[in-house]
Amino acid sequence: MGTTDDATDWQRHANRRLATAREFVAETETDALAAGLVGVLGLLGGFVGFLVTSQYTSVAVAAFLAAVGYGWVRHRELTARAVTLAMTVSTSLILVLILAFIVLEALPALRYESGELLGVSVPGLRMFTGTDWNPATNPKRFSMLPMIHGTVLVTIVATLVAGPLGVAAALFLSEIAPPRVREFVKPGVEILAGIPSIVYGFLGFAILGPWVSDQFDLVGQGTYLFVGIVVGLMALPTVVSVAEDAIDSVPESMKSGSLAMGTTDWQTMTAITIPAAFSGVSAAVLLGVGRAIGETMAATVMLRNEPTIAEPLYNVFYGFETLTSVIANKYGSATGLQESALFVAGIVLFVSVLALSIGSQLIEAHMHRKLGGSE
Amino acid sequence: MTGATETGVVRGRASTAKTVAAAAVGLSALLFALALAAGFELLSLTGRLAGVPTIPLLGGLLVTLGAAVIAFGAGSRLELVETDPSRSAGLVAGTLFTGIWFVVTGLVASQTLGLGTVGWLAAASLGGAAAFAVTALPREDVGSTVPAGALAGSVGLVMLTGGIGPDWSWSPAGFSDAQSVTVFPRVVIPIAVAFCALVVGWAAAKAYGGFGARGRHLGAYLLIYLNAGSIIAVLFVLVAFVFAKGIDPVMAGVTVGLGVGPTTTLAVDLVIPFADVRLFGLSYDVVWPVSWPFVMNGASILNDVNGVWPAIVGTIWLVVGAVALAVPLGVGSAIFLTEYAERGRFTQVVEVATNALWSTPSIVFGLFGAAFLLPRFTPTPKKSLLAGMITLGFMLLPLVLITAREAMLSVPDEYRDASAALGVSKWQTVRSVVLPAAMPGVVTGVILGVGRIAGETAPLILTMGGGTFVTVDQAASVVDSFQLTLSPPFVTNPELTQATTALPYQLYQLILANVGQSSGIENMDTFRWGTALVLLVVVLSFYAIGIATRQYFRRKLDYE
Amino acid sequence: MSNARHDAATDGSTDTGTATDTGTDVDTGTDADDDTDGHTATGRQHGTTTTGETDERIRAEWTDYEFAGDVALSVEDLDVYYGDEQALRGVSLDVPAESVTALIGPSGCGKSTFLRCLNRMNDRISSARVEGSVELDGEEIYQDAADLVALRKRVGMVFQSPNPFPKSIRDNVSYGPRKHGDVDTGLLSRLLGRDDEETEAELVERCLRNAALWDEVNDRLDDNALGLSGGQQQRLCIARCLAVDPDVILMDEPASALDPIATAKIEDLIEDLAEEYTVVVVTHNMQQAARISDQTAVFLTGGRLVEYDDTDKIFENPESQRVEDYVTGKFG
Repeated sequence: MGTTDDATDWQRHANRRLATAREFVAETETDALAAGLVGVLGLLGGFVGFLVTSQYTSVAVAAFLAAVGYGWVRHRELTARAVTLAMTVSTSLILVLILAFIVLEALPALRYESGELLGVSVPGLRMFTGTDWNPATNPKRFSMLPMIHGTVLVTIVATLVAGPLGVAAALFLSEIAPPRVREFVKPGVEILAGIPSIVYGFLGFAILGPWVSDQFDLVGQGTYLFVGIVVGLMALPTVVSVAEDAIDSVPESMKSGSLAMGTTDWQTMTAITIPAAFSGVSAAVLLGVGRAIGETMAATVMLRNEPTIAEPLYNVFYGFETLTSVIANKYGSATGLQESALFVAGIVLFVSVLALSIGSQLIEAHMHRKLGGSE
Repeated sequence: MTGATETGVVRGRASTAKTVAAAAVGLSALLFALALAAGFELLSLTGRLAGVPTIPLLGGLLVTLGAAVIAFGAGSRLELVETDPSRSAGLVAGTLFTGIWFVVTGLVASQTLGLGTVGWLAAASLGGAAAFAVTALPREDVGSTVPAGALAGSVGLVMLTGGIGPDWSWSPAGFSDAQSVTVFPRVVIPIAVAFCALVVGWAAAKAYGGFGARGRHLGAYLLIYLNAGSIIAVLFVLVAFVFAKGIDPVMAGVTVGLGVGPTTTLAVDLVIPFADVRLFGLSYDVVWPVSWPFVMNGASILNDVNGVWPAIVGTIWLVVGAVALAVPLGVGSAIFLTEYAERGRFTQVVEVATNALWSTPSIVFGLFGAAFLLPRFTPTPKKSLLAGMITLGFMLLPLVLITAREAMLSVPDEYRDASAALGVSKWQTVRSVVLPAAMPGVVTGVILGVGRIAGETAPLILTMGGGTFVTVDQAASVVDSFQLTLSPPFVTNPELTQATTALPYQLYQLILANVGQSSGIENMDTFRWGTALVLLVVVLSFYAIGIATRQYFRRKLDYE
Repeated sequence: MSNARHDAATDGSTDTGTATDTGTDVDTGTDADDDTDGHTATGRQHGTTTTGETDERIRAEWTDYEFAGDVALSVEDLDVYYGDEQALRGVSLDVPAESVTALIGPSGCGKSTFLRCLNRMNDRISSARVEGSVELDGEEIYQDAADLVALRKRVGMVFQSPNPFPKSIRDNVSYGPRKHGDVDTGLLSRLLGRDDEETEAELVERCLRNAALWDEVNDRLDDNALGLSGGQQQRLCIARCLAVDPDVILMDEPASALDPIATAKIEDLIEDLAEEYTVVVVTHNMQQAARISDQTAVFLTGGRLVEYDDTDKIFENPESQRVEDYVTGKFG
């Protein structure tokens, strides 16, 4: 029953769409339709031409521009709508293109590193079961595990730094700081985000690294612990600004209601504000984690750049390689399978950060629904 | 009538006990500062302070401090001091102290006493459980002072009795030789003292507030203020440090005066394309009144002072290209999403996609640029300025879209309705009502976004490339290089499809390069610091302008 | 000095007859209001402002209100500024204990501002500046050593629109006592078996009964309070306020967001509350003020208290022409 209902539903939906489309065609003047058609074809042609590196790409683009120009003069309303729609679609398309292209480039390495699981050949499996990164001598091995281990350690340290400090700073900014102090601290936090990552990396490389090696009597330079701290500092502003937004969105009436009962500010924060903003604050921390995972330059410059797993596993005083640093380091010199393996690292990064981003957005949406219901 | 004998709304006057608690907070602050000084090696741990060897002195202070808070807690428990404690210090404090004491007893048992895994686990669990019992079971005044005071006291005793002297060291067992770690007093003492000072300072602040709701409030505020203060301090130190290190190389050889600077030729050439007929030409030489070698020179063995001019030019072109791509696309999409599209599945998907794009790591953008763009501009894949521009444009795009959308959403619907009620068409409304009202937000967002991409390095490694030491005539000259051709694609610009450098990329290359004598750079280190300073100044000025713009518009809106 | 209370005292009336007024009469108010506060008493100078409000000088004796019994709150020379704007000008009045005092006036007259001064909720607004004196049972609440927590425990507040916490009904009621350490039902004490679950249950039932809500919610105390209707939410906020056992309850247009039936319930409730509590209620609804209050203070434009007297007197035979115009609906 249900399926047939769904089917008819779907058909009705499609029919309605078709009807609106027909109506649109009937109502719109012929020259506008023609211009629209030329525009769409030009845009598609331009895109395809670009992909196949045709020298006629510019012709297609010119056709598109001409169509837009014509439409702009004759049918401004319709053209504005169509052009902005095209812009929106192409913006969203970038995400798809990113995934498509890095997967495409990663395929050779994935195929090469196929492994058997329950009798089925799974592409890339060996990259996650072995621990060897050996691009030079046969048999070549491209394990992701050393880099994943490094990324996990750095991210844990960074989260321990950015999470609590960031949430505390967000509370300070939105609830505690007098206006004058806030006017000083808030841009300060933003500027902290503005310092280029390579500058952080340079400070870490030139000052922190040698100092740490000396203090802890290490062999060589590069520790996950201090990379994590620096990356945490860089992720801090993300956590602060998102968490501050979440805390700000708790209605003032709720806070006043609590204060009017004779509670202290701190009690109001812990009992009312933070629970109400909890999902927003956790979304902020998730985003911070995403930033820490994706941070490249500080790790590249401060680490040792040899894909190895630290011993024992929790030895954060020795830092070797992360998913990001291996790409930045090896991309120029790598060829063939190794280059392809770097794209696999890119996929792991992209997918994990994408999951974090979507997860935090779902959590935030949940919070707005909840608070929205209370107003 | 509720009698006036009930608890009044006026707090009691400062008592001696409160003074003691305040003094304990002050002493914690002093110890924290001393620990910082020792950490930054401003204070020698092997030397003496006020005539007393440093380590025992710090230990003694810690013991005093610990004893003071425990005494305060006991006094409050025995009702000698007027306080208002809760029934228990609470689960949060209990858990934290359990954790701290678990680690402390665990380390002592495994490393000092040399117990095996079972042994130290048992000892650590015992220590943690004891800390929990002392924290959570008794009244708050005891529960929050005794574990804190005991921690400071025992750490202090170890330092006072020479358990950790200047020659102490410790290497955790079980670490291989190639990855060994040794902890020395110069590390462990500042960290331990600072940590104990924080814990005891918190307890003392609670005591000062008389425990209870007010005490917790003060304790928490102490930590939160400290946190905000240290974030600002770190920022200040970072920026100041780069300035101090970089200012000398950057300012080397700066002269001001008529005719000292380089010459710029302003020229206008009007040429009929494809016919090689020159209609008229005009050229005029301008000599700059300032000579600033670090900013105006390239790197060359012939220069007195080497500079980063090509990198500056590269960064400027990158920003221009990225803005030209991202701003129209981003603002256009924002217009469609806010003004034309109905809220539904489509807008949701686009929103999720933009936010995901915003958090995508920059190195992934680099990989994408390398795979998608590099093979398309030249017959063989080659890193190029154009690829760098487009990649950074893609990175800027989500930020522009998000801020533009936010700015447009905050334009009240009344404006749109008022305009529509006058019979103005949708696009006209957007152009003359929505866009002007949203402009401040968009501009601020774009400036801050530009600050972000101007400092971006990772994508450039993969897409734009360029040398380490770049001479001044290798600076990109995009404007002069446009060429028209008769066959498609009609317009070419070899300069755009060539690798070039930019400030952040150059700094990365300089870090990788060990020696620069061949390019005339004597001291790599100062050259790096100089480059870092120029980069920092460029990026931070974008931020400063962005923040100032926002402040300006906000103030203007407030007064309207 | 020109303010009403001092004049009353020199008249030898029984005003402020309690011992509370001795000692710390901190007069932080400036004398700046001397020229504005109508001690010149030149009688009615009629004229009409653009809003249709009669122009007249305020006479000091209009705000003299003599009553027998205790004074709960005593306000003297209260000036409030928001930035450069003055929201209240030299307001002085005494609130009798265990009665309902209504504050009425057109919007923007400062009556809500005045209310928020009584438990210092105006401190939340950073641009607000308060000058003058407010005494609660003879203790000055505007002094540096004042303990806002203790003050707000004794002076509860119910807001214009219901603002329950996003917690269960039970937790909403027991929120205050829990935060003040009077009731302990935390995880830790439950683990240790020393929680006050019974005390809490009694407290919740008593407060909900007093707020006339018990019969409607007793079977769903663990439901989220945000699921209640507007009227129920407002009564829950009153119950929440009662749970702290305040002396004074401030209500800022508590029924303005509610339908007539819910409003009637709140009004009945306010009258009942006055047997035990001192209630100060702001309303823009004159019928409501007439129905529920024992005495009424009329604020008019410019943040001035114009007349303060028995409710019957205000509505039947006011001294001021402007008040008469206002209560008969000529402007407002």
